[in-house]
Amino acid sequence: MFYVSIFFQYASQYMKTRLTYRSDLVVELFSDILFQAVNLIFILVVFGHTTLLSGWSREEIIFIYGFFLVPYAIFSSFFNIWDFNERYIVKGEMDRVLTRPIHSLFQIIIERMELESMFGVITGVAIMFYAGSQLGLTVSWYDPFMFILMVAGGALIYAGIFIILASISFWSDSRTDIMPMMYNIGNYGRYPVDIYNQVIRYVLTWILPFAFVGVYPAAFFLGRDEWYFYAFLTPVMGLVFITIAVFAWNEGVKRYRGAGN
Amino acid sequence: MNVIDVHGLRKEFKSYSSRKGLGGAFRDLLTRNYTVLRAVDDIDLQVKQGEMVAYIGENGAGKSTTIKMLTGILTPTAGEVQVNGMDPHRQREAFVRTIGVVFGQRSQLWWDIAVQESFRLLKKVYRLSDEHYDTHMKQVIETLEIEPLLDKPVRKLSLGQRMRCELAAALIHNPPLLFLDEPTIGLDVLVKMKIREFLKEINRKYKTTILLTTHDLSDIEALCDRVVLLDEGRIIYDGGLEALQNNWVEGKQVEFEFQKPVAKEELEQITAEFPVKWRAAEKLRGWKATVEGDDDTVSKVMSVVMSHHSISDVKLNQVSTEEIIRNIYEEGMHRHG
Repeated sequence: MFYVSIFFQYASQYMKTRLTYRSDLVVELFSDILFQAVNLIFILVVFGHTTLLSGWSREEIIFIYGFFLVPYAIFSSFFNIWDFNERYIVKGEMDRVLTRPIHSLFQIIIERMELESMFGVITGVAIMFYAGSQLGLTVSWYDPFMFILMVAGGALIYAGIFIILASISFWSDSRTDIMPMMYNIGNYGRYPVDIYNQVIRYVLTWILPFAFVGVYPAAFFLGRDEWYFYAFLTPVMGLVFITIAVFAWNEGVKRYRGAGN
Repeated sequence: MNVIDVHGLRKEFKSYSSRKGLGGAFRDLLTRNYTVLRAVDDIDLQVKQGEMVAYIGENGAGKSTTIKMLTGILTPTAGEVQVNGMDPHRQREAFVRTIGVVFGQRSQLWWDIAVQESFRLLKKVYRLSDEHYDTHMKQVIETLEIEPLLDKPVRKLSLGQRMRCELAAALIHNPPLLFLDEPTIGLDVLVKMKIREFLKEINRKYKTTILLTTHDLSDIEALCDRVVLLDEGRIIYDGGLEALQNNWVEGKQVEFEFQKPVAKEELEQITAEFPVKWRAAEKLRGWKATVEGDDDTVSKVMSVVMSHHSISDVKLNQVSTEEIIRNIYEEGMHRHG
């Protein structure tokens, strides 16, 4: 309960600060939409040359993309830890975090949230509705609940992977370019995994399970029952990854060396 | 009861060194050379409630590392640490509610938001009641005279203003123990004095224990009755400031200002029979002689120097704390200890 109220305290403070710089906010939202439009155009261009991709139609792929945007939006609103090494370890901001009576990871999440990224949820849902109506999908009573469960699972997988990567900084504070690379790999989850070769498929399912953020859970809503096993695994994978991540983080904090003065 | 109770505290850092050349870089991939650096080396420290302790040492002596272990930021390599009856690292979240921390070179406040908004967030973070906040913080704000700064964002404050706000923020939950790492660094004299006054007052009023590190020895003279001196990770002195002044350097300091430039060797040569150490003074053609011995020796040294060189000014000083500590570091323990 305490953590919930602290979260809202920080969120309201965040909104206040953002609203004082209104023009920044507008520019950011605009560039976000532009970025998503480019991605969509890419899909359309690919399907200008073919109608089916390993048995997936254009609308289905657009649907998967729409779904992907939702957990991704939640992830990028709350887990801006790609610069954790630089900001908290090298500059020593972690010192301050560790002198406050709140779990350190939670503090970093609420300090670094970027709520305007939540706009992606709206875009994602809109794209899903568009593609869904083209495909003639219907919404059942349990779909909204499944949707929340799948989105939560996807967001937790994303969060888990990036928290584990951030935790590496506790062991080695040398700069790595692993974070941007991971953002790229994350994008592979938006496409049906059966278009990739076996090895990549295996990696995207079990090692860096980005497929659980896009194609697997979306397959459930598309009614593709050959993927149901993976679809239902999404929340489980989410829990597994976030548990490993928090464990790695807690171990890492014990090894925190501090920044020299 | 001891507020801080530390036995055999030690912190080691592994630092990796890289080999030369491309071949060396490849070998580094396989096995890395590392050296173990002992930043804090088996320290014992007990601090009682209400004490104001200065924790001093040169850069890299291990001050910050100790403070970071006492505040739960770093995990000790070995040793027992009990602060406020808790283990700082294992019980971190409960423990940090009982301490206040100010790092002089790092802000605890939110950069973009008004000072009072920062205070409000901290009030929530420490789960303080409105009454506690209203009565306690009102006093703190009044004493530190930061009332007019409350609605300004932190980034618009001067260093002195920010520092006073930092101090207020660290005391928001009225902690019984306060850690200050270089609290007066870069501040002007007036602000320094204000901060010292304030620290004295909370120490008197709430019996707040204060542990501070500083490079400014006037801080220590104004505030602390106890000094802990650290060198290469070890405590080399722990005791009263007065005892430090009395025991470590006997004698006086004479400051000469010569009419013509004089070389150090010349001075050393003519005073070779006396226990004198020469050091260049800040003034042009000025030299300071630290004389270890009674007043008789001092007057003999003066007469010898003056009979060889014509002087324009001469001053007789008590040796300052700064001088003493500089001596301790330059000469090391063995001479006095």
